[in-house]
Amino acid sequence: MKSLKARLLAGCLSIALVTTSIATAQEVSFVHDKGFWSEAFQKVTAAAKADAGVEIVETPYATAEQYKAYIQASLASGELPDMFTWWTGASFTELVETGKIANLDAVWDEMVASGEYEASAADLFRVDGHIYAVPLLLARWVMIYNKEKFEEAGITEEPETWDELMAAAEKLKAAGITPFNATVHEGWRGFIWFQELLLRTDPAAYNGIHDGSVAYDSEPVREVFEIWSDLYAKGYFTDPRSNQEIEDFAGGNAGMYLKGEWVVGSLGSNGLENDEIGAFIVPNITPDLPSAVVIEGGPVVVSADSIDKPEVQQALKFWTSTEGANAWAEASGNYMGNLKAEAPNPIIAEISEDMSANSTAAYLRWWEAVPPDLQGELVAELNRFMLDPTMDTAEDVMSRMQALNADYWANQ
Amino acid sequence: MNEISQKDQAILARIGVNEVEKRDRRRQKRDFGVALLFMSPALLMVCGLLLAPVFYNVYLSFTNWRKFTGLDELIGFANYERMLGNPFFGEALTNTAIWVVASIVFPIAVGLGLALFLRDVRFSNTFKNIIFIPRILAPTAVGVLWFYVYAPQGLLNRGLSAVSGQQVDIGWLYQDNTVTPAIIATFVWQTVGLVMVLILLGLAAIPKDPVEAAQIDGASRFQTFRHVVLPLLTPTLLVVTILSVLAGFTVFDLLWVMGASYPGQRSLSLAVYMYFEAFQKGSWAYGSAVAVIIGLVVLSVTWVQAALQQRVDRMVR
Repeated sequence: MKSLKARLLAGCLSIALVTTSIATAQEVSFVHDKGFWSEAFQKVTAAAKADAGVEIVETPYATAEQYKAYIQASLASGELPDMFTWWTGASFTELVETGKIANLDAVWDEMVASGEYEASAADLFRVDGHIYAVPLLLARWVMIYNKEKFEEAGITEEPETWDELMAAAEKLKAAGITPFNATVHEGWRGFIWFQELLLRTDPAAYNGIHDGSVAYDSEPVREVFEIWSDLYAKGYFTDPRSNQEIEDFAGGNAGMYLKGEWVVGSLGSNGLENDEIGAFIVPNITPDLPSAVVIEGGPVVVSADSIDKPEVQQALKFWTSTEGANAWAEASGNYMGNLKAEAPNPIIAEISEDMSANSTAAYLRWWEAVPPDLQGELVAELNRFMLDPTMDTAEDVMSRMQALNADYWANQ
Repeated sequence: MNEISQKDQAILARIGVNEVEKRDRRRQKRDFGVALLFMSPALLMVCGLLLAPVFYNVYLSFTNWRKFTGLDELIGFANYERMLGNPFFGEALTNTAIWVVASIVFPIAVGLGLALFLRDVRFSNTFKNIIFIPRILAPTAVGVLWFYVYAPQGLLNRGLSAVSGQQVDIGWLYQDNTVTPAIIATFVWQTVGLVMVLILLGLAAIPKDPVEAAQIDGASRFQTFRHVVLPLLTPTLLVVTILSVLAGFTVFDLLWVMGASYPGQRSLSLAVYMYFEAFQKGSWAYGSAVAVIIGLVVLSVTWVQAALQQRVDRMVR
């Protein structure tokens, strides 16, 4: 009797194990830290199942800290998920250098050959000449403006030069509308105007501060703080202490808002619809500079242990296809650079057209370009300036930023 | 001198003393085995979930574990040396000291005052319940709530504007000189209810005789409190102090939520600094070293308090 029971139990366990292994063998695990897009991911995974017959199991993490800890622990234990999101820039290089991330050169060869992607779209995901990710999003950082506020202030054309932008700001101010919405909310936003002003005055210095060749207390940086401080002195910015930046702009607190294109969806969900806003690339302050824009890229990487699985190949194929890009755009409002896909909203279409017409160069966002060890400390200093935007504070901020920067590069 | 002679041993063996001793030893062994069996689930949990991670954390603090590498690379005291030279650590340490002192002084002073006041007033139970309510809220929820109270357009500035008749626009959570006091005030608001209840229990346990004797001898209310009630309340106050010190050292949720937009957030306390280094920067080994220092400081302080507690207990007896 005992023996029969034991056999039955063993049989049941074997069936359960075999069933489980069959089920998990066909699934592709996909982990990310973008819980706010979880619903959108689920729509895309449903589309992947319907169109490509591949089962992608999405797991969101609530915070970036939890997520990083999970990936770092998974990597140490050799149990990485099949596919997962990461960040571009220096932290991307660190991840690739572990040797646990799959080389996707062949996948990109197909993506470019199909005419769906430009080869340059892979630049953000390149380490030592090889490509290690496919895009989750490519967001340009542009000036969003409220059409109604522009009308109220009598602004009829989108500013094309820095002087025109300043004239528009002055008109808005005269009409009782604060020109620019900017806050230190959640502690990470301080770099937005800093990166834009430096790129618009000295793009070489913008690149230089990221590799330690240009100091944070050098002349190009000082000039940025002088312009920034002057804009504050003129009353062009909203209260930096607001804790509802997006809601404020959607509610009409300012005429313009410098942000990544992904904010368009959030503005819509807060009542400011696509037809009520427009967008333009911020003009250069130094007039003879070539057209440029800050770009934020979100990579999806594949574990080196999973790349040869047929279901992972299928998932990658769907994700990078026009159908995949359209499903993602429809679900999340994000653009991932697929040339044959429909633009998720008119703002993205307009910016793509402008970039194409002006051969606009893309510069990596400061947040990703700066060494990850310095991100938090440096952005805290920039926030400190925004809370007290005088040149006295700027001098102190520059000196502290450079001390941190010099210390970091001295130890590399 | 104390050795038992052979003759005595023979006598003990004859009357069966050795057998009794052996039997007792066997019983003790068996009892210990049974006790160990009953304690084993708890022991396993303490060893597996408490002691093992603590020792592993100490080991990690001597490694070079950063993000993806260095877990098996021992670097001695390098993380501790780095800590000593880091200005953020110094600021976090100073702030933590301020927190600990404040978390002892304010909740106990306010809790004691409330307990004494509410002992004899009408509807005291209602007041006690109202004061205790914040204690049952999650610290994160309390942090979010007070974040909006302290906001530039928040309840506090509006109230001050209404009282002063002038526009008050203080960025309570954005300025070096106001951020820590503002969060400490929130901490006191949340913790004072528990402190008050513990002190009320202590007051209820004080025998009436010495108090009545003091009053018959003509002692004023203050003298009675100062020379009779307070000494008898000391054991309770020591327990409350230990709880407050631990709360002060380990406070994290309130600081993380309320200090999110403050530029110097990482230096708000040692616990926040540790989280920042380990989880945001991926400096796991360095974060572990900070955790070891927090643990050592807490252990030292609680050890001193435990010694004090023993001395007070002996005095009371």
